[in-house]
Amino acid sequence: MSTALRRRLPETALAAWYVLAVIFLFAPILAALVYSFNTGVVNKQTATWTGFTLDWFPAAWNDRSLRRAVGQSFIVAFWTALVSVGVGGALGYAMVRHPARGVRRLLAGVTYVLLIVPESVIGVSLLLFYAVTRIPLSTATLVAGITPLTIAVVALIIRARVLTLDRRVEEAAADLGSSRWQTLRLVILPQVAPALAAGAVMAYTFAFDNLVVSAFLTTPRVNTLPVYLYGSLQYGPSPAVYAAASVVFVFTLLMLGIAGLIYRSSRRSPRAGLR
Amino acid sequence: MAGPAPERLKSPGGRAAGGLPASAADHALAAVPTLWLAVFFLAPLGFTVVFSFGRSTFGGVELAFTLDNYRTALSGFYGATFLRTVIFAVTASALCLAAAYPVAYFIARHTAKRRLLAVLLILIPYFSSFLIRVMALHMLMSRGGATEIVLNALHLHDGPLDLLDTQTAVFIGMVYAYLPIAIVPLFVVLDRIPRPLIEASRDLGASRLSTFLHVTLPLSRPGIATAVLLTAVPMLGEMVIPKLLGGSRGVLMGQAISSQYLQSQNYPLGSAMAVLVLLAVAVMVVALARLTKGFDEVGA
Repeated sequence: MSTALRRRLPETALAAWYVLAVIFLFAPILAALVYSFNTGVVNKQTATWTGFTLDWFPAAWNDRSLRRAVGQSFIVAFWTALVSVGVGGALGYAMVRHPARGVRRLLAGVTYVLLIVPESVIGVSLLLFYAVTRIPLSTATLVAGITPLTIAVVALIIRARVLTLDRRVEEAAADLGSSRWQTLRLVILPQVAPALAAGAVMAYTFAFDNLVVSAFLTTPRVNTLPVYLYGSLQYGPSPAVYAAASVVFVFTLLMLGIAGLIYRSSRRSPRAGLR
Repeated sequence: MAGPAPERLKSPGGRAAGGLPASAADHALAAVPTLWLAVFFLAPLGFTVVFSFGRSTFGGVELAFTLDNYRTALSGFYGATFLRTVIFAVTASALCLAAAYPVAYFIARHTAKRRLLAVLLILIPYFSSFLIRVMALHMLMSRGGATEIVLNALHLHDGPLDLLDTQTAVFIGMVYAYLPIAIVPLFVVLDRIPRPLIEASRDLGASRLSTFLHVTLPLSRPGIATAVLLTAVPMLGEMVIPKLLGGSRGVLMGQAISSQYLQSQNYPLGSAMAVLVLLAVAVMVVALARLTKGFDEVGA
């Protein structure tokens, strides 16, 4: 082996491993996209290709319970994102800027615990909680149940942004006679707005896709898309399910792309140069 | 904006290191998330702990203080399931780490622009439906599926492939689902290692391998700990992948707990099993904290 080749070998191996990982990660998604055009056998999806058809997209659209589940998922994801941005934003800010060190530590500790409790444990605990307190399951209880996961994600994104903010700007605002609320609204909020938007998108995506916690908190009347799909597995899912998931995935990518563009352009604006 | 900050711009009037004095706004910002999480997170977990000491009566629960549920959860079928779950989570997490490290290492070596693209390629799959990906994985691994065709074409395997409903299938599924989560913290840490440090090691005559073993690897310990934590913990409670890919033989704790709640309606036993999972998580956190000792204040 020549020395040049020996020097290049680790590089090539690393690159090959990376490419393999990307192929591995994308293969099931491509399969799901491709198989939404598979004819299947008697309305059931099959691993073998049985022919090309476009029928499953209108079939998915005309499936009332599937459409209801998608609609329900959108509603749950919207409200979860809204609550998570409010509560998680406050958490992420207070974690860095609260005057008392003890409070900052407590908030950071809670966020850490949020991230390490397995979802199935949260799910059964919430089921128990609602059963004992006799709160009937509804869209609201489902949203409240998913929020602990998404609040932690939003809080971490906001925390990272607040850490980069110049504290002296806040102090200057205070010295110039602005109240704490005014400073928050007029100085802090514009600076963390892009991070809040990014957090909202993450929370929305997580909530839309949430299966484990939702599996415990859904009812026949409040049934989200992942839970509906999970239930349909017993009978063997129809290719229409793949068609619906493909459309949702493309929609999610579009949303993420738009959110990414907004985030980037806002960071380039002169306002962001404030720090 | 350039130049050193003039002294007079620093906090005037000898304020505490925490910055501005506490105001109602600060208290509100801390109180809202605390209250919300106390109700919808801590209280439910508290209920689970309390119920785990209770007694299951016919169709209900009697609050008591008994360790019977823990005895049941740690013996026989449930005990074996618990043990298998812990071994499984640790093994699958280690596999995930082994697969993720070279990927993160590769990404961290690129220039900023290409790095973003390389990370995005890893993260995009994460934004599609988790369940659909696992279902598609199921299809790819089933008899007559794409994996069988590819392996046969490459002469790596002959005839039909019996991969589904095995432990291997569950491992593949777990690594698949958690690979991106393992790559990100590793990438963040590797990205932060100063280049001159690596160059200095090389200049002083260390080979690439020994530079990696003695400089890069030790410095990436916090990333390794985070990656293990973020993968092993959810794996301890994972219920979808084992059910879909492992069939009836691969029951893990997540499924066992959920069936206590949804089918058997034995809440106290299910609660005790959930608390055991939390204890396993706590042990893991303590063990990993040792790995990051001395790194606590770096970066933040």
